[in-house]
This record gives sequence, C-alpha cells and structure tokens, in this order.
Amino acid sequence: MPIWKNLSVIRKVVQLLTFLFLVYGSVFVGFYSADKISGAFPALACAYDAKTADYCVLIPLQHQFGHLLGPAISAGVFGLSVIMPTLTTLITFVLLFVLLNKAFCGWLCPLGFFQEVLGMIGQKLRLNRTESLDSKLVERIRPVKWLMLGLLVILFPLASGLGFVGHELGDPFCKICPSRILTSLAAGQLNQLYIDTSSIGFMILSIIADTMFGLILVLSLTMRQPFCRICPMLAMHAMFRKVGLVRLVKNYTSRCDKCGLCAKACPMDIKEIHTSKEKDILFPDCTLCGRCVEFCPDKGVMAMKYAVIPIKVSDPQYFKARNQAQKVWEGKKKPSRKPGKA
Amino acid sequence: MGATIFVALFSFTAHAEMYWSPAPAKHGHGGHDRHAAKGFVLNDGEGARFELLNPQLSSVAVEREHGHVMVKSTGMDNYHALVATRGDGRLQESATRYIYMFGKPSGESPSRIMGFEKAALEIEPSPYAREHWRYLSATQARFLVRYRGAVLSNTSVMMRTTNGSNSALKTDADGVLTVELPEDFFNIKPGQMENRPGEFILTARHSDGGSDYITTFSSNYHVNPEHWQSTSMGAGVVVAGMLIGGVVLVSRRRKEK
Repeated sequence: MPIWKNLSVIRKVVQLLTFLFLVYGSVFVGFYSADKISGAFPALACAYDAKTADYCVLIPLQHQFGHLLGPAISAGVFGLSVIMPTLTTLITFVLLFVLLNKAFCGWLCPLGFFQEVLGMIGQKLRLNRTESLDSKLVERIRPVKWLMLGLLVILFPLASGLGFVGHELGDPFCKICPSRILTSLAAGQLNQLYIDTSSIGFMILSIIADTMFGLILVLSLTMRQPFCRICPMLAMHAMFRKVGLVRLVKNYTSRCDKCGLCAKACPMDIKEIHTSKEKDILFPDCTLCGRCVEFCPDKGVMAMKYAVIPIKVSDPQYFKARNQAQKVWEGKKKPSRKPGKA
Repeated sequence: MGATIFVALFSFTAHAEMYWSPAPAKHGHGGHDRHAAKGFVLNDGEGARFELLNPQLSSVAVEREHGHVMVKSTGMDNYHALVATRGDGRLQESATRYIYMFGKPSGESPSRIMGFEKAALEIEPSPYAREHWRYLSATQARFLVRYRGAVLSNTSVMMRTTNGSNSALKTDADGVLTVELPEDFFNIKPGQMENRPGEFILTARHSDGGSDYITTFSSNYHVNPEHWQSTSMGAGVVVAGMLIGGVVLVSRRRKEK
C-alpha cells in the first residue's frame, strides 16, 4: 500500500516531527519558561531539557503541591492566590487535552515515540518479540499508573510541602522520569544522567531513574510500550478522557466475538476492545494509536472520530493492504514487485 | 597636562564601580515565602538613582530600609530588573540585577526585559539562567555587551567573584562575552541546599568621545552539582538496568517455552 495511506506511518512521521520540536524547539519558541507553549503539556516533554519547546503538566503540579499548597496548608493560609496557580495549570492542561484527548500519548509523547522506535529496531534485529503480555500480568500492572500519579505527583510533593517528608520527595516523579534522561540526552546534555550521592533519598531516586531507563532500553526492543503502561500521564489522561474531542467507537457485530484482531494489535494489551459491546471503547490505557481500527477486518466496526467527524474507519480493503504491509515489515513476506502494492 | 591626563585615566580606571548584591539574610538562608520582600544592597552607590522595572517595562517604586533596597512583590510573575544609574556629566554609571518574582503571569517573555535598553552601556545575559537552571561553577555563561543598543566587539570586561576569583575577559567580534564561571567554592558539602551561592560581578567600561561609561551586571552562582552527582555512575546503573532487562526477557522466554 502507498506509504502515505498507512496510518501507522503517518503516526510515526507525526511522532518524529513532534519529538524534534519538543526536544529542540526553544529555537523557535524561546528559551524561558514563560516562552513555552503551555507549561502544562499533556505528554512527557521535559523542562530539564534546556532546548525544550514545552514541558509536561506533571512538573508544575509537583512544584505547586510541594512549594505552594503544602506550605499554605501548613500555615493555615488557603486563599485564592494559593490555589489559582494549580487551577491555571489544570485548566491549561484540560484545554489542550480536549483537542486531542489521549492521542497526546500515541502521537506526540517523546518517550512513547522512543519506545516504539526501539521496538522497530528490535523487529528488524529479528529479536523474539512478546506481542501481547499475559492478561493476568496486564491486570497486575494497570493499577501502577494510578499509584504513580497519586503518590509521586500528588501525595509526596504535598507531604514535602507540609514538612512530613524531606525535600528529596518534593518532585519525586521528575526524579525518576525516563523522559528527563531521554530528552536531555537527545539535546546533548549529560547533566541529567547521574547518581546523586548528596543524600540517601536522592541516591535511591537517581538509582531508580537510571535503572528504569536501562530497563526501558532493553524491554522496548521486544515488548510494546513498557513504560507507558505505568505512566502517571496515562492515568491523568484517563481521568479526563470523557471530555476529549477525539473518540474511539465500536459498532459491535456478532463477527467480533470470533475475531479479536483489534485486541491483538493493541500495543497496550487492552483486551476489552475485543470483548466490549459498548460504543465508547476509549479505555483508560488507550493511547489512541489507531492500530485497532487499522487491523479491524470489518467495514465500519471500529472508528476513530473527531467529535462526530470520522478520521479513520475500519475497512476490509485497508485491512488487507495494511496486514500485508505489516508482514513485509516483519520480514514474513517478501515485498511485491508490482508498483503500488506492499 | 600630563599629570591631568594621568589623573583622569587613573580616576576612570580606579573608580570603584557600583554593583548590586543581596542584603544579608536576617534568618538562615531566608524563608519559604515566595512573596516576601527581598533586600539588596547597592555597593559603592552613593548618589545613584535606582528603579525596579517589571516584565512589562513599567517602573515600580522601591523602598530603602536601613541602607537596603527592599523589593516587594509587584503582583507580577517573572524577571524584574533592578537598575541603578549615576552620572556626573562625563562619567555615566549603571548597575543591573535581575530578580525573579512570583505573582500573576505577566504575559511577557523575559527576553523583553533582558533586551530592553536600561542604560547606555549594558551587559545583557544571553540568555539568563532560567527558572529551572542556575549559573553554576565550572560552566559557561553567555552575555552580550551593548552600547546604545549596538554590540561592542573586542571590549574588555572584568569578572570577579565573592569567592576571590578575578578574570579579564573580552567580547568577540559579535559582542558576545563567554564567561567561564570559576570553580572557586571552598568547603563544598554534598547537596545544593548545603552550599551558599556566591556572587559574580561583570564590569564593562567604554569611552565615547568625551564621555566614559561603566556598567556592572551581578548575579549569584552555585556550586556545580557534579561534586555529588556522578555521570559515570549513572551510566553504569543504566547498563545494570539493561542487564536486568535482559535477564527478565530471557526468563520470560524460558517460561513461555
């Protein structure tokens, strides 16, 4: 099939351009925090990258909980000036999020893109892939993203501001986030790859960060989206997914019961896409990558929509061509010599 | 006449330039109140006028308290410029310091206040170490030296620090001054909060016809975290993480078989 018709290829191009823009974009938008696009971006762009075009919402949230809300609660002073910055951050995040919903994950996140590129490299190296994780393992992993959000982004920073825990836990998610290391390395900085020996707390956090980064480098070669499954941004998206304009819908038919290709294609192993008979199938773990729509062999069963406007609708012709293109990519089929065919 | 010229030159070159420095904190390293007033001292600044510019380039009144200039919250977020000027006809002096303040978003890029002409001769940070960054020892900082808006090439600039370092620098052909902040902290303890920042002062001088100009830029700089953050250990732990990942994959493969 023509490359420009392949949704996955289009997504890769968008991911690449976004990665370059987010990592190096201060050349265009400006160097200072006030110059950044939003300061509450719904994907893991990082402020520690000196050249970044924007930074993610989790950074200001941790800082506000730790430096503003926590001390204010401790002092018993809780006026509008204390909650306004956090409200502003959340409103900015939601306004952006409404535009693309969870597609920020599947189309714009630098770390998500990096993991997918590693996966592509793993495929080309013919490494044995784990296409789908065991469903019990998936069930055990799912709550982790909520723990990451609740503990690392909200509770620990708040506790640090209240004085219950040390300064080390003022921004604990930033301290362990692999995107901080990835984007700063991509920008040519080594200053975010370190072991911090100034205190036990900082040392443990830096060990977790570097170990996790190394784990992701290897796991991504043979496993789909290892970090995305536990990312607190995924959890934050899940909280607001009902207000986003991009929708994922399913028009269930009896043929679905015998199929299941959508769930097999899903990089986040969301089995419920297959088993659900509901119209709205935008589940908490979804990144709106669109693969379920691509690999649905039936016409009109799966669709990605922008409000009411269909963006991508499942189609048997597309499925056939896309399936062949996937097999050629994976080396299971030789490319056709006929022009215009995969 | 020779004596007059010598005295004039000596007066210009030996003149103690005025510069801003933070007022000594009353308690420890200062509290956590982001909106508390900040005190600054204008050293060797007798007879100088001073003003505080907010991000929208409006002048805000500042108070003097026990010889210190107290800068209170303007209600506006982001960098403000504390500017002192003094002139006696022939000699025009200025001193600039940038202060970050918390408040409502100003809607302005800090580039605006950095690039705004505050005095005839200026040292402009290019860029200033922004909010998640700091000036650090053993790193480079970049500045532009400008006279009436135009860059000054091959111009001498002196740098000194409160830790005792002195350097003679020069701008390049584009007026860019690259400053290597010295590694001159002593008694370094692990941890950013365990080490008090130092101050560095840049001084530029320029003569134009019958007028002489002196300007200073001052800011704090911090101990480089490299003293307690090891990149090589970090890389080693990443490799360990990769090995763990490999073990996980191999064990999963064996289970599947």
